[in-house]
Amino acid sequence: MKIDLEHLEYVYPHGHRALDGVNLTLEGDQPVALIGQNGAGKTTLAKHLNGILRPTKGRILIDGVDLATANTAQWARKVGYVFQNPDDQLFLDSVRKEFAFGPRQLGFDQDLIARRMEQVAGLVGLADRLDDHPFDLSPTEKKFCAIGSVLMMDTGTVVFDEPTCGQDKAGDDRLAAIIARLRGQGRLCITISHDMKFVARNFPRVVLMQHGRVLLDGSREEVFARDDVLEQAYVTPPPITRVARQIGLDGPVFTVSAFVDAAWRAKSGSRNLSLDTTRAKGVKQ
Amino acid sequence: MPGPASNGIPDSPLARMHPMAKIAGVCSLGLATLVWPDFTMGLGIVVILFVAAALARVLRPFTGVMFGFGIPITLMLLFIQGCYSPKNTKVILDLGFAELGLEGSLYAAKIVVTLLVFLGSFYLTNKTTYMGRLVAALTQIGVPSKIGYLILASLNVVPQMQRRIAVIEQSQHARGLETGGGLISRTRAFLPLLGPVVLSSLTDSQERGMTLETRGFGIRRVRQTSYLEVVWRRSDTVMTILFTVFLVLALVLGCLSRTGLVTFAIQWGGRA
Repeated sequence: MKIDLEHLEYVYPHGHRALDGVNLTLEGDQPVALIGQNGAGKTTLAKHLNGILRPTKGRILIDGVDLATANTAQWARKVGYVFQNPDDQLFLDSVRKEFAFGPRQLGFDQDLIARRMEQVAGLVGLADRLDDHPFDLSPTEKKFCAIGSVLMMDTGTVVFDEPTCGQDKAGDDRLAAIIARLRGQGRLCITISHDMKFVARNFPRVVLMQHGRVLLDGSREEVFARDDVLEQAYVTPPPITRVARQIGLDGPVFTVSAFVDAAWRAKSGSRNLSLDTTRAKGVKQ
Repeated sequence: MPGPASNGIPDSPLARMHPMAKIAGVCSLGLATLVWPDFTMGLGIVVILFVAAALARVLRPFTGVMFGFGIPITLMLLFIQGCYSPKNTKVILDLGFAELGLEGSLYAAKIVVTLLVFLGSFYLTNKTTYMGRLVAALTQIGVPSKIGYLILASLNVVPQMQRRIAVIEQSQHARGLETGGGLISRTRAFLPLLGPVVLSSLTDSQERGMTLETRGFGIRRVRQTSYLEVVWRRSDTVMTILFTVFLVLALVLGCLSRTGLVTFAIQWGGRA
């Protein structure tokens, strides 16, 4: 799937300019992370991807079709959107009904819904809670219930708004598995997140926003190498990336194993692993 | 954010007036209209309210409310009372299918202006008073702060629910729910959304209650202070006295005219 945003501008009714000329193409199956400080315009941008918000100026093309030609309910067939707060999304009296709601609206037949229910419930870890009331789920489970209810709709693109918020390690791992599964199925996953460790681990492409504009758009290596721009946008790279940078390892690293490899490479290359104290002191935490 | 809870109130003498003085005004004007024998005083007060609304820079919404309510209610009452009041003796207009009687019409006019005075003065008070100030003023005169909170919370709950409904609606659209189309399909789509809105408002208020407790809202035997200071100025005293005198005068004159001791310049064919 391909989503083109052309000169996108959005001004909220109370006058706040949330998007200020965004040009962006999202395509393929590479998961994309949208990062940036609060108020950068990430959620506003994401809400344009299925027409929840309509641009004040500019346009959005989904597989070449202007988004303005149909309403959100119709675009729901192509783009799934998981809201930041699951309480905004869940309204039925069982997880099962929540899961079935979207596909029913889209006219999926009963067999398909049942098959997908099994897969998705396993994926989001709610297989044995299908008959529970969503209000009885823990906040984390609620989030996965909301995610599951959107995954059920089998859309070509899935947008997650802050799925990492309030998640523990198990939750993060489950999310990572979901994102990997989407990629495996050739679906485009666009995720808003403030958790840079999670972003660096799971998203090959990163888009950095500030003040309604795209500051950086590229591979995670390219984006996390731009310390100057990241600092200007108040985004801190993952700790291990900063440590590697501080001691002068080549290129941004995102995992412990990559860090160790890079350190070995540096050592065997008989380069001076510059544990240079003056430099280390100068870098802000 | 629309609604009386917001602080986006244009500055005006009416906005600066003490909320209690305004409430005194609502009571005085409304009661005076009620006891006055005919509609003339009410009509005068309605005109004054329009001037006050212009001064308070809320003329446009005020006009909308007054006419939006006033026109249909006038037509309805004129039709019912004017044509079918048993008191009717003098016919002023023959409509063909019914006759419009003077007594009933006067009675209808009286009811309409009374309603309009109450509505208009209350609307102006509401439009020009930041609810926080009203509640601060209420607690100042000894209303328990818990009741004050109750008023504020219930006023806040409506815009809050509206915002929530908007977000929930968005999220249902994102899941393929069509809420457009005719009234019936809209209603059908809208009904399932009400459950979570009401439920989450309830859990919200429970949580808010708990946070209030943790911040010492329930402490007893302490004189609580308010962040909003509502000052009673001399002009408020003057206005309250004027309102009171006005009400007393209207009461006395109204009673006297009813007993026939005083007669007014305008003599209608019959008393409503």
